[in-house]
Amino acid sequence: MTNVAITTLLNQTDSDIAAYLEACVHCGECAEACQFYESTRDPKYTPTFKLAPLVKAYKRHKAPLRGIKKIFGLVPDEVTEDELREWEPLIYDSCTMCGRCTLVCPMGIDIAGTIRKVREGYAAADIVPDGLKQARVNVEKTSSPMGVTPKALLAQIKHQEEDTGLKIPVDVQGADYLALFSSHEIMASPEIIGAYARIFAKAGLSWTISTEAYEATNVGVQIGSGPLAAKLVQRVVDEAERLGVKYVISPECGHAYGAIRWAGPNLIGRTFDFEVLHIIELLDRLRRDGLIPAGKKDERRLTLHDPCQIVRRGGLLKEPRRLMDDACSNFVEMPGAGIANLCCGGGGGVSANQRAEELRTKAFGVKLDQIEKLGGVDAVVIPCANCRGVFEDGLFDLDRELEVIGLGELVAETLADDPPKAAE
Amino acid sequence: MSYQVNGHTIEHDEEGYITNLSDWSKELADEIAKTENIEMNDEHWEVVNFLREYYDEYQIAPAVRVLIKAIKKSMGPDKGNNKYMYELFPYGPAKQACKIAGLPKPTGCV
Repeated sequence: MTNVAITTLLNQTDSDIAAYLEACVHCGECAEACQFYESTRDPKYTPTFKLAPLVKAYKRHKAPLRGIKKIFGLVPDEVTEDELREWEPLIYDSCTMCGRCTLVCPMGIDIAGTIRKVREGYAAADIVPDGLKQARVNVEKTSSPMGVTPKALLAQIKHQEEDTGLKIPVDVQGADYLALFSSHEIMASPEIIGAYARIFAKAGLSWTISTEAYEATNVGVQIGSGPLAAKLVQRVVDEAERLGVKYVISPECGHAYGAIRWAGPNLIGRTFDFEVLHIIELLDRLRRDGLIPAGKKDERRLTLHDPCQIVRRGGLLKEPRRLMDDACSNFVEMPGAGIANLCCGGGGGVSANQRAEELRTKAFGVKLDQIEKLGGVDAVVIPCANCRGVFEDGLFDLDRELEVIGLGELVAETLADDPPKAAE
Repeated sequence: MSYQVNGHTIEHDEEGYITNLSDWSKELADEIAKTENIEMNDEHWEVVNFLREYYDEYQIAPAVRVLIKAIKKSMGPDKGNNKYMYELFPYGPAKQACKIAGLPKPTGCV
């Protein structure tokens, strides 16, 4: 077990990772950027400290001059199973791979990305939290971490058709857009399916949902298994190419976007025959093309949360703000909004890990302080279903009230009444 | 590891979820509730019956967030909230209610 972990860690250590490990000057800037450190002040939550198993294996097996250093007893011992297990909560419970550490590192080290690599070693040795293990079992059975089957999806689609009075296209060969969803959306907020139907009907889009590839989340990315991540991306790619779609829509889910948009082609070793768009990117594009004009604005005092994988790691900074400006008349930005915004505390698989609950609530407390500083916020708009769930749980645990809404739903509710002409 | 109901032996896993879902009966539900220190009343039954129908439709044992949203949609915000559900099932509405309803262990979110 330990050997598998060490071998995998070493295989992950390419020139980028080696350069990162050599470059760290132990300045501690990353600690101040980490919500798990900030909410506990415990130095073990310093992001670079979390990398210790990798650092140790690297120094022993890969670092320059290790042969000479070994003679003088300057090379660390082999990583033991006990050490790997001791570090497991640091790797999985106290890191959402939010990337604030990466952002502030003066040496340009992608610490969050390196944690992702360390998780490869852990997943290979199967030293992973129970919640993620269970999600993996479900994914292997159904492609969904929650065990959502096509039967469940079709039942929710039917309810949404009844609610909206619109036909929702399923398994349509030759549609332009293939919409993906996260399990959490399908089961906890299926209204988003109806919201897409309303928006796309207005824009005149040719779109479909597939019963073969509907799940956007990728537990492989969270648990740290490249092979599983690749398999899940491949499933979507195969179906998108079979249907012949031009675009695949990644939903309001953080890591799902990174998994298919940025890691996807590298995972499966080729480019796609289609383009991946985030739903927010698509809505912004449709808005600017004049296909979904905005109507009456929401007049409440609303603020916007920046999901880490969509904004800091994903680059969609302006799109959600343009949509917010059109959708509400009283939009206030959080202090530190945008690229450096705080995490919800539950991304990167932390929300699926029951053991991390207490720590996650602490990290969320920092987020909540940030919002409460604004004063009088009626609702927070969050373009990520996982962040929304973490907010709802955290608000309950901390005994606070705050409405949490999705951006797609807000856009659907603030569309202009008169439908424009359908797209040619 | 089993429950005894009317002279029948019904197997369960180490956490108390029954292994064969078709073994479920109202008498068994009462028996499981006892082991959870819950005295079943109409409000408990309403949630348990809801879960049986939910499982029949979706084949999913919902995690707490999903369950509460589904209850809210079906029965309104007075019942579809954390406080109400935790009062009924103090050790976790999804876990305890799924167990009593004879469903598998609820699955979380990612």
